[in-house]
Amino acid sequence: MKASDILSYAFGAIKLRKLRAGLTTLGVVIGIAAIVALLSISQGLQSTITEQLQTGFATDTLIVSVGGGFNLGAMSTASSGFTLLVNDTQEIDKIDNVDTSVAIIQRVIFVKSSGKELVRYIVGVDFAKYANIYSTFEAEGGAIPQDPSNETVIVGKRVSDPWRNETLFCDVNGTIQIIWTNATARPPKNETYVGHVAAVLNEVGGLSIGGPSDNSVYIPITQAQKFFATDKCDLIIVKLKNDDEATIESVSDAIKEAFSGEVSVTSSTAVLRILSSVFSTIELFLAGIAAISLLVAGIGIMNIMIVSLMERTREIGILKALGMKNRNVLLIFLCEAAIIGLMGAAIGTGSGWVLANIVAIIFSGGGAGVFMQAGRQAAPTSRMTITPVLTPTVFVGAMAFGLAVSVVFALYPAWRASRLNPVEALRYE
Amino acid sequence: MMYLKTLVLETVNLKKTYMLGEVPVYALKGVNLKVEKGDFIAILGPSGSGKSTLLNMIGALDRPTEGQVFIEGVDASRLNDNELADLRRQIGFVFQFFNLIPRLSARGNVELTLAIPGLGKTERRKRAEDLLENVGLAARVHHKPSELSGGERQRVAIARALANNPKFLLMDEPTGNIDSKTAKEIMDLVKTLNEKQNVTIIIVTHDQNVASQTKRSVQMLDGSIVKETVN
Repeated sequence: MKASDILSYAFGAIKLRKLRAGLTTLGVVIGIAAIVALLSISQGLQSTITEQLQTGFATDTLIVSVGGGFNLGAMSTASSGFTLLVNDTQEIDKIDNVDTSVAIIQRVIFVKSSGKELVRYIVGVDFAKYANIYSTFEAEGGAIPQDPSNETVIVGKRVSDPWRNETLFCDVNGTIQIIWTNATARPPKNETYVGHVAAVLNEVGGLSIGGPSDNSVYIPITQAQKFFATDKCDLIIVKLKNDDEATIESVSDAIKEAFSGEVSVTSSTAVLRILSSVFSTIELFLAGIAAISLLVAGIGIMNIMIVSLMERTREIGILKALGMKNRNVLLIFLCEAAIIGLMGAAIGTGSGWVLANIVAIIFSGGGAGVFMQAGRQAAPTSRMTITPVLTPTVFVGAMAFGLAVSVVFALYPAWRASRLNPVEALRYE
Repeated sequence: MMYLKTLVLETVNLKKTYMLGEVPVYALKGVNLKVEKGDFIAILGPSGSGKSTLLNMIGALDRPTEGQVFIEGVDASRLNDNELADLRRQIGFVFQFFNLIPRLSARGNVELTLAIPGLGKTERRKRAEDLLENVGLAARVHHKPSELSGGERQRVAIARALANNPKFLLMDEPTGNIDSKTAKEIMDLVKTLNEKQNVTIIIVTHDQNVASQTKRSVQMLDGSIVKETVN
């Protein structure tokens, strides 16, 4: 019997029981839709986050910090008492393949302007070098001075416009008061000075580790050393000559060696890699949950096929009496399942995609935004939008999975149908 | 003279034993039967005489416990499922309850039989229509079984049985489920097929009236042939 004839026979059998076939298909639709929606949302989330990280990350950088691990707040000290100094950059600059390095002093401060007060990070850094490392350290208003005076400050977008409503907290050529509580002094006291805003940075968005952030106030490193009365720095950012795996590896090792293993070196690429592996795990978990619903659909298919097999016992007997081989009876039943599976998968993929977009719109727009907190302080937040991503792999995978589940669960009923004894099947009422 | 005729079907010491729980039931106890090309034979017997079991054996639907069934020289008792399926295509079945596929039209039912050996679409459509015309149903090709009378359904079944040029027609109580007037029409059609088109026909029936219209009848009782009559 020709494949096309088997297919059309199977199709005819499905058409006869539209409601039943429709409900069976619905099971597959729900399973596949759940998988597609969850996967495309999580992939969208992943690409949004990685994208935002990459802009704030620069793949050709290393972050040197004190102690065993990289710390988002970055103010840890090693138990041995080792600290990084601002002029340690000179040591690092000597290492092969290092383009430049820049020291960062970071504190949490209050900034005050026209009676209002914000909690923000203050970052002491060499402006020129920093701009050289991170292209996002770029002025939207004003200009980043090459040779800044001590009072010069550069503010992130969310310092200038913290409420996103054009009510500016401060602007270019304005002044802000910087207040830092010196907790090591006895008694603790507030240090303060007035900074002149030379530039407002372009909006960076999302997270940034080491790189420019919308919630920071930038001051020259020399001013930071003076104001905080310290030569210690919290991070040293190293720009490499290239972002080859080998370069990252060798420079990381060289830096660790230069500081006798007292520092930890974090590669942005490594962080991205860890993040994406975390996402893969989450994705797998979500897909697993969705797969359960598909399993239920599969059992539904099996159930329906067994009922159908009983109803059609006589028909199978007739087909066998007409000389149809067992194999072709098997194929007819498998074809029916495959048609249901394919239709379910196609509709499921479509509705899953629609569902993902609806969820994304609800998440990204309106009242309920996704807020990511970047740092220890609760105040600085920035919102992200998710664009669901339907990769060809997910699309093809979902279709294949829907088809496979349907066919696998139909195997047993189809096999039973094919093994029916023609004499008994013909006698069946 | 006798030996020049082609032997279409031969059973040799055919035995079939069923197990009814623990109790063996001897449905066939050594049946020897020969059917030649162009024969028109009735297998007659009351229910329980073993005639249905014999029909299953010579229709290649089941295997005997002992003995052989030769269909044009091929021993059906030695074949596997696939080979039996192939063999069944060369046998035209006509059942008491028609056994048409309800969702297919008259033509669809005949076409299905032609599709099984893999005949192309246009070819089988043409052939199906010819076959239906041959049984007097040219005007009813697009009707579904539920839209046809009992007699018409049986005609479709006969057209279907003839589709693959079978070695013989095997009819199981073909008039058992239709009124006597229609039954006569069907028997006339069957006789015409035998006389005009030289179709070999085996009818299994308990109806003496049907049997008397054949060329030869074989009387069965308790799993054995007890009498042969040439009409």
